[in-house]
Amino acid sequence: MFREHAASMQSPPSREAEQLIVRLLKRTMPFQVISESMLQSVAGVSRPFSYRAGEVIYRAGDKADDVYVVVSGAVEHLLSETPTTVERNRVMHSGDVYGWAAVLGQDKRVRLATATCVETAEVIRINGAALIERLNEDPATAKVVMSRFATMITREFGAPAAAAQIAAPDPSRPDAPAAAPRPQGQATGLALTMFRMSRWLRSPKPLLMLLGFALFLGFWYLSVEVWKLPRFREMPGLTVVFKEWFSKNPTYGLSFYTPEYYEHIWVSVRRVGIAFFLATALGVPLGLFLGWSRTFREYVFPVFEMLRPIPVLAWVPLAILMFSGSETPVIFLTFLASFFATALNTMLGVESIDESYTRAADCLGASKMQVFRHVIVPGAMPYIFTGLQISVGVAWFSLVAAEMVSGQFGLGYVINTSYTMVRYPTIVIGMITLGAVGYVTSAMVRVVGDYMMQWRVRELALGGR
Amino acid sequence: MLAPTMTAPARGARTQGAICIRDVVKVYDPDRAAIMAVDHCTLDIAAGEICMIVGPSGCGKTTLLNAIAGFHSITSGEIHLDGELLCGPSKPLADPGPDRIVVFQNGALFPWKTNLENVAFGVVMQGKMRKKEAYEKARAMMADAGLSGTEHNYPGEVSSGLRRRVEIVRALMNDPKVLLFDEPYRALDSLTKSVMHEALLEIYYKNNVTIFFITHDLEEAIFLGHRLVIMTSRPCRPKLILDVDIPHPRDYSVLTTPRFRELMDQTIEAVHEEARKSFEAGEREG
Ligand SMILES: Nc1ncnc2c1ncn2[C@@H]1O[C@H](COP(=O)(O)OP(=O)(O)OP(=O)(O)O)[C@@H](O)[C@H]1O
Ligand SMILES: [Mg+2]
Repeated sequence: MFREHAASMQSPPSREAEQLIVRLLKRTMPFQVISESMLQSVAGVSRPFSYRAGEVIYRAGDKADDVYVVVSGAVEHLLSETPTTVERNRVMHSGDVYGWAAVLGQDKRVRLATATCVETAEVIRINGAALIERLNEDPATAKVVMSRFATMITREFGAPAAAAQIAAPDPSRPDAPAAAPRPQGQATGLALTMFRMSRWLRSPKPLLMLLGFALFLGFWYLSVEVWKLPRFREMPGLTVVFKEWFSKNPTYGLSFYTPEYYEHIWVSVRRVGIAFFLATALGVPLGLFLGWSRTFREYVFPVFEMLRPIPVLAWVPLAILMFSGSETPVIFLTFLASFFATALNTMLGVESIDESYTRAADCLGASKMQVFRHVIVPGAMPYIFTGLQISVGVAWFSLVAAEMVSGQFGLGYVINTSYTMVRYPTIVIGMITLGAVGYVTSAMVRVVGDYMMQWRVRELALGGR
Repeated sequence: MLAPTMTAPARGARTQGAICIRDVVKVYDPDRAAIMAVDHCTLDIAAGEICMIVGPSGCGKTTLLNAIAGFHSITSGEIHLDGELLCGPSKPLADPGPDRIVVFQNGALFPWKTNLENVAFGVVMQGKMRKKEAYEKARAMMADAGLSGTEHNYPGEVSSGLRRRVEIVRALMNDPKVLLFDEPYRALDSLTKSVMHEALLEIYYKNNVTIFFITHDLEEAIFLGHRLVIMTSRPCRPKLILDVDIPHPRDYSVLTTPRFRELMDQTIEAVHEEARKSFEAGEREG
């Protein structure tokens, strides 16, 4: 809307920009009730700005001059921890107002929160002092606007202490704000997820993680190559493994520079991918029906429970007999344990759903199918994703077992043949690669889960996680 | 909070939502233990009445509510709503439906839907409205109840008092004849509770639905109700029905009136007697 006015714009807005601002202000909670002429006057002290995703608009502790109104995009508002407030965040969209510290008493105009742009955002900034001055031209209006500010702060930002400091709201006025219609366009979950990741990168957590790795590698190096501890002595040392791994011309034929290395990874990833996909596509519906229909469960569950504890290795001969070639048996073996984990967790998820949710849906006139679609499936979702995380883990576990037994390529195959052919450093390369790839896949499942369950992410975020 | 111009509709002013409970018996029979929860309970609730149910713990109040809502069958007797049979000898289990909506003790807003989607859920599911239309109406109703600005929050993100209000709005969205409350404010602190009471009365004055309200809080019972039904210890049956002759609209100032204290004393006496009986019965069984 304001793209033609660059962020540096300082001159008063043009006539039509002013009209746009008036229209926007009418949608906001604090300004909704005031007269057209007053809005014009407020628009006169407004300045449009735009911010890129990730940009910090202000930080807690900064001096507060302006009040902000979101025009488009999304801004995250993170209340910092003080004795009276808990850390609480909120994502704001078009029509939301923040930065209210600018209208507090003179000496309190300090940011209590940090505002960060999540999605390219256009905002208008209204100078707090100028705003108060303009509003005071009509004291009755000023009172209403301030009281609405106070209501908004307590209700939406959970900052009771700050609200008390705002120009005392009129107690005789009930706080019954009319509707502030907000467009449907929410910040897409993806943008929110990306934003969380980038915030993680900026926090001290990655440093701690690196430190943990350094300690682990240091111990490996020292115990094998420096102290030569009994038992550890026989292991390939850190320097040997890494030299081999980064060598353009590896002694045992496998390093970052050889295409075979990537071929093995690709083959394994592909097998796990197919097996995991099949396990999810079949396991989730099976689990849902097991949990939902008592009769179905009575038929199927005993068989399911009998098959479930059979270890993957016990299935190997049958898998080879049943499927031709070398690829299908490996995928089948990888699939099995994942499938059981997914189905079982999904079933538990359905059982975990509080009875009052289904009863409420019944009361509200939902049919049996609608209850399934709107209550059972989303209600079981947290358990389903826990199941899927376990499922990727066991998929890798079974894959290596399957590749060791039958298979022509893949990381399990590399580890196994390197042992028989006395290529010890390559074993370790295979192992570490396996660990890293496994970690990435399970992180991916988690990210997808968070993306699909925004409600849960936000609930947990409020719980301080 | 209550505008002086607001007039309270006379009890029964509404023509829909009269509940008639006739000789209802409910026996739970897990492993042939035959627990009688409700024993020949007969009770008439007028359309548009706020009927408060109090009674000792475990006496069978929830059982009665579940029978009206259609969550549990009854063993014998009949329940009618506006002369139509909900459940009876030929049909022991009532069909749950949007004419009788329950507000649950722990709240049952779907945590995976936003407040707005929750409020619109009923009418969309029943196919009464298109989604867009339903959202518009939901937004207006939420604004009416002072809930603007929380439409796009998930229930887990707002305070418990707000959640209760959203849940009541979700029920009202379906234009029900009866609201069934099962101790909805039990978990709230007393300050939030008093705000909720006034908010509920305000909603009631606008909508005038029949309210069947179970509670343990006697002050709440007298403050809100037209009538107070004190149940006997298990098996439950009305022991004493008390008319609360304090005129509506009420606000919190009635708590300090002598009449309120009088009613409170009467109730405490009756409830205490039942509570003791139920406690002694428990001692004997245990
Ligand atoms: N599904 C059930 N199967 C067997 N017995 C039950 C069942 N539900 C309730 N009961 C028993 O019936 C009696 C009445 O239960 P109910 O839940 O109706 O009491 P209540 O009055 O709502 O109690 P509270 O005030 O504690 O909520 C209790 O003794 C309870 O143990
Ligand atoms: Mg109960």
